[in-house]
Amino acid sequence: MIDGHASVRIPFWRNPRAWLLLWAAATAGLVAVLIWDAWPWLHGVPQAAFRYTKLNRWPIECLWWLLLPVVFVLQSNLTMVDRRWPWTLALHGLMAVIVTALFIALAGVRMLVANHLPAEFLPAVISDLRALGGWSYTPALIYLLLIFALYAVSFYREWRAGQRLTSELQVANAQLETRLVRASLDALKMQLHPHFLFNTLNSITGLIRKGRTREAEDVVAGLGELLRRSLEHRQEAMETLGEGLVFLRRYFDIECIRFQDRLKVEYDIEPKCLRALVPSLVLQPLVENAMKHGISKDANARLLRISAARDGTRLILTVYNDGPPLPKDDATLNNGIGVQNTTARLHMLYGDEARLRLRDQPPSGVRAEVILPFQTNTS
Amino acid sequence: MTTNSRFHWWTSLALLGAGALLALVFCGRRTGLAVRARGSGEDNILRVAYTQDLRPDPHEWSLPLPTYNHFMLSLWEPLVECDLATGQPQPAAAESWELSSDGLTLTLKLRPDGRWSNGDRVTAGDFVRGWRRLLRRNIDVAQTLFFLKNAEAFNQGRIKDPLAVGVQAVDDLTLRVELAQARTNVVAELANPLLVPLHASTEGVLAEASYYRAPERLHTNGPFRLVAADADGYRMEPSEYFHGRGGIRLAGVRFVRADSFWLARLMVAAGVIDLVSPALNPLDRPLPTHRSIARKHELVLGVSSLDFNVTRGPLRDLRVRRALALALNRTETIRQFGQGRLVPAWSWVPGMPGREGLNLLYEDAAEARRLLADAGYPGGRGFPVLNMALTIQSKSDPFPSAWTESWFQLLGIRTHISYEPMDLLARRLTAGDYDVLYGALLATVPDAADMMSGFLWPQEYSNTKWNDKEMICLLNQANAKTGAERAAILEQAERRLVAALPTVPVTFTRREALMASEVQGWYQDPLGRQSIEHLWLAQSPAATLSPEPKL
Repeated sequence: MIDGHASVRIPFWRNPRAWLLLWAAATAGLVAVLIWDAWPWLHGVPQAAFRYTKLNRWPIECLWWLLLPVVFVLQSNLTMVDRRWPWTLALHGLMAVIVTALFIALAGVRMLVANHLPAEFLPAVISDLRALGGWSYTPALIYLLLIFALYAVSFYREWRAGQRLTSELQVANAQLETRLVRASLDALKMQLHPHFLFNTLNSITGLIRKGRTREAEDVVAGLGELLRRSLEHRQEAMETLGEGLVFLRRYFDIECIRFQDRLKVEYDIEPKCLRALVPSLVLQPLVENAMKHGISKDANARLLRISAARDGTRLILTVYNDGPPLPKDDATLNNGIGVQNTTARLHMLYGDEARLRLRDQPPSGVRAEVILPFQTNTS
Repeated sequence: MTTNSRFHWWTSLALLGAGALLALVFCGRRTGLAVRARGSGEDNILRVAYTQDLRPDPHEWSLPLPTYNHFMLSLWEPLVECDLATGQPQPAAAESWELSSDGLTLTLKLRPDGRWSNGDRVTAGDFVRGWRRLLRRNIDVAQTLFFLKNAEAFNQGRIKDPLAVGVQAVDDLTLRVELAQARTNVVAELANPLLVPLHASTEGVLAEASYYRAPERLHTNGPFRLVAADADGYRMEPSEYFHGRGGIRLAGVRFVRADSFWLARLMVAAGVIDLVSPALNPLDRPLPTHRSIARKHELVLGVSSLDFNVTRGPLRDLRVRRALALALNRTETIRQFGQGRLVPAWSWVPGMPGREGLNLLYEDAAEARRLLADAGYPGGRGFPVLNMALTIQSKSDPFPSAWTESWFQLLGIRTHISYEPMDLLARRLTAGDYDVLYGALLATVPDAADMMSGFLWPQEYSNTKWNDKEMICLLNQANAKTGAERAAILEQAERRLVAALPTVPVTFTRREALMASEVQGWYQDPLGRQSIEHLWLAQSPAATLSPEPKL
């Protein structure tokens, strides 16, 4: 890239102009050799005659050399109209006839010049040549073979270009899909934050109504910290479990003020799981559900336990609360926005390798379990 | 017409234009074309075509094509020339000669007015120089001089001393020739264009090819001298020192190179040349102009024959040989493969000026079958497979297969044709290990005796091994006679030959010369040695309308 305009350096062997230049230079050299060779004849040197010049002895080679770019250009142009193959076939057929006729006419001209015959004898010479079986149809064969070879090369190049294009499209599709997933995650996160904000603001309102302004100030400060961190990490789809737990602790700090001493949060985290990568805020909706449908619904409920364990290649995250059992209504159970969002996120990120299960935990309480592949930054 | 933006209209136009132009060329006018008028300075100049490289060197060519003869005999004059009517030698550079009683020494007296083109006198030493040069060269035609004593050994390097060769200049005007053995036509053989004298300077001029830039340096003793030479031909003018200068009616001769005989035909039609001989023209179609053209024919003094080895198997039986001779179809075979250049041979010696060809043979399949049955091979049963030996080069010749196929079809006789390398074939010939050969004989002297001379020494020169004392006696008698008596004896010998049929003549070659009708003085010469000095041009060099221009 030299400036704002695209200026790609094409390799020499793929530049038709370079080939044309090379052909022109070689032709100039050929002409020079022919003139040098014919010089004695042109200057009337006694031992020299047209019939002994290379001009007379190399007619086939010279003519093919001169015709070469014409054949290339014609083939290249006609390739572009290959959807109209009868037209292409007809033109190539015509060209084969013309090339053959040109060679025969050239043979006639050579005989004419070498034997000092008048120019008007050319048709007679050509006619006699035919009667003697002297018409060679080899040029037509050579032309068609050349065209066939050029078409083969052309089709091979197109096939290669198609292959490259397919690969590029596949990469572009993958990138597009990633961007779409990221956009979806962002959208989901945007759905989480209002939910959390709503509950927290309700808690703050409650504290203010109860005159617990000092605590309300702490909650607001904590919420501010949560929002700041949340905004910082907004664009990141993944985080370590450790980072997620830090976020949750801040959340529980707020919720503890709301629930006073009633809320008891326990952590059962295997140390090796702290560096495991998990979707950001993946536990947040489950924790909120536990608070909303468990701890809040039963005055005796007070325990919320978060655990993380590794089971081979899987990471098992659990959110348990000792609140009331799940309602019998499946619609309520499965259509909660938190569960739906989490399920959708897991599916987008891991496909069938991840799942979310929500079930009662006898004798009391409800257990939400997330199973996903165990991944770290190094794996 | 454009089917795509990249296929420009002008491409289509260029293609169609090129096609139309070529169509015009291919379908252009091919009859009634104009005859080129003679250029200034070409009046009374005879223009002769030649189709193979030609150098003014009498010892370079190997094929006795008429054009070479015309070219050489225009520049050089040999010791004698042959009377076409009698085959007898006539004075040329030599005015007289004398053969010793033992037939081994020939003494020739040169004409005192013989001159080179620069005025130098032609001497006997010039002939010795020329003949020794021929013998020093490693070319087949050096055999022409093998009749000289020690000539073959000198040519093959077994003798180094040129003085040992049987040709000496006794004095400036006397040439003595010593023969290896007595020959029938030794004087007539000296008319060969190979046996011309060389000026002292000529070898150097030929070696340097300096005649291109200085043609006057090539001194010749013939009716014409070289005045110009280039790769396209030669120009000659009458030599002012030639003894027969007064009889030359042409102002000059130009030999013009043509690429082929059929192109030479067009050159005649176009008015570029006046004469081509031989005109091996494979085309039978009208000429593109109305120039009046004459076709002149002559029989070549030679014969193609099927030679039987009369010392082997059934071929010893005359009835078998006659059956084979009768079971041929010359006319049909020639029609198929002869390309208009062959005629059936009904005798051994073709007709020539002063001697009509005899009609001694015929074809009769029924008679052939009867003769074969009489010989004990009815329908060819019990007849051994004949072995015909040929050179590898003969593979493309359709005639051997045609003749043997005829024998199989008409008589049931099978023939195995073996194509062999020359050395292998030579060994086979020496050993006599063959039944039939297909050969050709070409005479070097216009004399029937020359055609039959091989039967004088059957062991050396005849593939038939036919050793007939009566035949030898007749030929020797003929060589001792002249005139009508000699002709009668030769006819008797030929009849005897054809009656015995050790060989079956099958075809003669007919040579055609093509010439503008203004060329006058052309005569038949079975050896193709017409002398250009005897020709002239009628005073109508322009095109003459001919009602039937078809050739």
